[in-house]
Parts: sequence; structure tokens; C-alpha cells
Amino acid sequence: MIFARVLAPYAQFASKAFQREATYRVEVFSEIGSLVLRVYLIRALWTALYAHNPAPPNLPLHAIITYSTVALLLSLIFEVDGTRQLREKIRLGTIATDLLKPVSLPGSLFSDGVGMTLLHALTVIPSLLFALLLVHVDHPATAAAGVAFLAAFALGYGVNFLLNFCMNCVAFWTLETFALQLVVRWLSDLLSGAVIPLSFFPGLFQSALLHLPFAAVYSTPLLIYLGILRGDRIPQALLEQAAWLLVFAAIAALAWSRGRRRVVLQGG
Amino acid sequence: MGAAAWCCKVVSARGWLNVTAQAWRIRVLTMLEYKANFFMWFAFTIAYHGVAIAALGVTLYNFPSLAGWNFREIAFLYALWMLGHSTHNLFFFSVGDVPTYVQEGTFDRFLVRPRDVLFQVVTVPNQQWPDELALAAVWFIFATWYAHVAVDWIFLAAVPLIVLGGVLIDLSISLLVAAVSFWFVRVDTLRWVVMSLEQEFTRYPVSIYTRGVRILMAYVLPYAFMNYFPAVYFLHKSDHGLTIVPWLGLLAPVVGALWFTAAYAFWRAGLNRYQGTGS
Repeated sequence: MIFARVLAPYAQFASKAFQREATYRVEVFSEIGSLVLRVYLIRALWTALYAHNPAPPNLPLHAIITYSTVALLLSLIFEVDGTRQLREKIRLGTIATDLLKPVSLPGSLFSDGVGMTLLHALTVIPSLLFALLLVHVDHPATAAAGVAFLAAFALGYGVNFLLNFCMNCVAFWTLETFALQLVVRWLSDLLSGAVIPLSFFPGLFQSALLHLPFAAVYSTPLLIYLGILRGDRIPQALLEQAAWLLVFAAIAALAWSRGRRRVVLQGG
Repeated sequence: MGAAAWCCKVVSARGWLNVTAQAWRIRVLTMLEYKANFFMWFAFTIAYHGVAIAALGVTLYNFPSLAGWNFREIAFLYALWMLGHSTHNLFFFSVGDVPTYVQEGTFDRFLVRPRDVLFQVVTVPNQQWPDELALAAVWFIFATWYAHVAVDWIFLAAVPLIVLGGVLIDLSISLLVAAVSFWFVRVDTLRWVVMSLEQEFTRYPVSIYTRGVRILMAYVLPYAFMNYFPAVYFLHKSDHGLTIVPWLGLLAPVVGALWFTAAYAFWRAGLNRYQGTGS
């Protein structure tokens, strides 16, 4: 009972965020429109590459097209940054009133993000249908792989949220973080396997990337989906993701408590 | 033209120059004021192009040939686009903001002031600094050497003209989108499509696309003249179907001028039609 009462406001935040996002229908349409173009680009690019070169082992043309298309659909969800408001609140100083409220601000940002994500998750379905007009997308290798993919996706979502949260916390110290965040966004897109599979990177670099936190966001769920990560390597991969989740939770908690104190010292 | 009218022209030209100089002075002063911000955006610019080039590099490391183009040639293709695009951004970036001004209702302020509307849009104070252009120049010099492009007098004479053509092509299409927003206030989807074609589709040889998209990129929204056709000429590549003559790429400034003339006429027509959002 108490648990439900504590959580109730956060469910409200999520529902409000969902409704707020739903009012911008045009943006949803342009999101789907640009996605269709990118799926077309994926098809044109990989088809041309596989036509003139030997295919890499374990990754035939249909697998790479599936990989890139599912990565694109995942990006619809991962690119929602519910914690962006934190930066604005710090810059404008309105965070002072938020801190007075009897709810946890990180908690409300998380539920706001979940609400926004739920709306964008709905756009995944029509996007997938449009994508299917252009390319063939394989289903997960096995039913078990499908379930493991969902678990890996949930963990990736958590890591992505905490990564964004930490980045926005930088605003406590520098006030302006937008350019920095974009830099990290571009880099993590490349290093997480969102643009090209990490197996394309050369030797040592590749093994390093596979164990960086960025891989926990895109690469791990995608490799499970394709059946490249399978058997007892799946629990190992999920554990690694969970470990990153804990590490970033700790960093986020530290950044939050330190940053919060700074606001109080500044006098809001 | 009478002496008085001629005199007026000179005065007005001087006025334009004055305003342009003022706008640039403000821009430089802003840059000097926010040094940390400048370096942060410079890091952003490096990261943006660095990631794009790295992704191309890693891809072509695994697949050495993209429709007959190797990484060296793709690097040159990217450099040509980057040079035209960053020059456009430096001078005309705010044209792309016109649909936002129209939506927010802030566009009307340009209509009540005594200067040309497009000129006012172009001189809106913004944070476009020559960092991207400098980076583009460095990358272009490197890529020219890296791709073994013969630097002869044709190359030296043609490159500035191709960059000019690229700037005009970029500008014409932003101007077209801006003018469309006078009729249909929300043009986000169109902006997305155009931006995607311009930034992502130009990274690869146009020959990898299906016929419809090739024609679109060559003769409707002629981004292929910014980098693909000139690169085909300089790198002596063969292209099936689209390139009528090998030196087609050298026509970039002509195509740019034609499209700009058409886009400017359309923009004027849109301005006459513009009624504001009423907000």
C-alpha cells in the first residue's frame, strides 16, 4: 500500500510526459519519414558493399540489414533524453523549487523519460511496417534469444538513462553542456555499435570496445537478437550490462549529491 | 540610369557593406567573449566529422570497395562536400532557421524593416564561426593528397568554382524549404528529408542508389553536383548512366546559379504570399 502511494506521483509524471509528446504529431510523422530514408540508405549501402566484396564470416547481407534496421528502431527509444530538462532547470535556476518538492527529482525525470519513451515506442511499430516495405528484417534467432534480447534492451535502457543523467549533471559545474553532450552522443553512436557492428573494428580496438559501457546500450542487445551472442555467453553479457548499470548508478548518485550541494551553496 | 539613381545605388551598397561588417563584428566579439563555448563547439565540429569519417573508414576497412570507390576516394568525396557545406554554413546558416521563425511568428519583424528580407535573415547574429571551414580546408588538402588527385591548373581553378556552386546549391535548397514554409507553416518532414539527403546521402557515391534517387540527387535537389560529379571528374571514375560527359562536375557553379535564380524567384513569390501565423 505504502509502496503504491509512493509510486503514484511517478506514474502521473510518466502519463503527463506521454500526453505532452503526443501533442506533437507532426514531429512523430517526420521522425517516421526520416527513418524510412535511413532504412533505404541501409539497404543501398550494404547491398552495394556486399555486391563487390567477400562477406565477413557470421554476417551475411540479411544479418547486417537486420542489425542496422533494428539498431535504427532502438535509436527511436534510446535517443529520448528525459534528463535533458535537468540541464535547463539548472541553467534557469528553477531547480531550486524542484528540490523543495516532496518527490525525488531523478525519479521524476526517469518517469518523465519513460512516458516519453512509451510514446516513441509506439512509433516503432509503424516505422517497422514502413521499413519492412524496403528491407527484410529477420526475427530473433530463437524464442529464448527474443526474451534475452528484451532483458538486454531493458538493461541497455537503464545504462543509457544513467549516462544521459550524468552528462546533464555536468551542468551543475559548467552550466552549458549542450555541445559536450552532442560530442558524447556522436562518439557513443559510433562506439556502441549503433552505426556499424563493433565486429568491424580492427582487433585490439574491437575487444576494448566490446567491454566499454557504450556496448551495453546497443551492441549487446543486437548481438543477442542476431544469435551471435548465444548459449552461456548470454548470462555473461547480461551480467556485464548489469555491472555497468551499477557503476553508472553509483557515479550518478555521487554527481547528484555533489551537484545538489553546489546549488544550495550558490543559493539557487 | 541618371546620376542621382546611380548615386543612390552606391550609397545603398555602402549601407549593405556597413551592416554586413557590423554583423561580423558582433559575431567576432561574441566569439571572443565566450571562449570556452567556442572551444566546445569546435570540439563538437571535430567529433561530428571525425565520427562520420571514422565510420566510413571502419566500413571500408572491412569492405575495400564501395561500388568501385576505395576509402581514399570516399575521403575526397567527403572533403568536397565538407568544403561547400561549411562555407554555406558560415555565411547562410540562418536561412535554414526561417521555417522556425515562421512557426514562432518572429519572421514578421524582418518585413517591417527597411532592408531586403533575405539580407536580414543572412545577417541574423548567430554562432557560426569559421572553425568548420578551417577544418574542411585541412581535411580537403589532406584528402587531395591521400586520394592522389592531380593538382594542375584546372584543379586549382575549378575547386573554388565548385565550392561556390556547392554553396549556391545548399543555399537554393534551404531557400526553397524556407519559401515552402510561407505556404505550409509546418515543414519539419520536408526539412528532415532534405537534411538527410544532404548530410547522409552525399557521403556515398550516388551510383549505389536506385534510379529514382539518383535522378533526385542529380537533377532535382542537385546535391550530386556538390561532390559526386566533381569527384568523378577529378578521380577519373566511370559512372554508368548519370554522367553524360566526364566534365559534368565542372558545371557545378552553373547548376548552382540556375537553382539559386529559381529558388530566389520562388522565395520572392512566397514572400508576397506570406500572411503570418497570426500568433
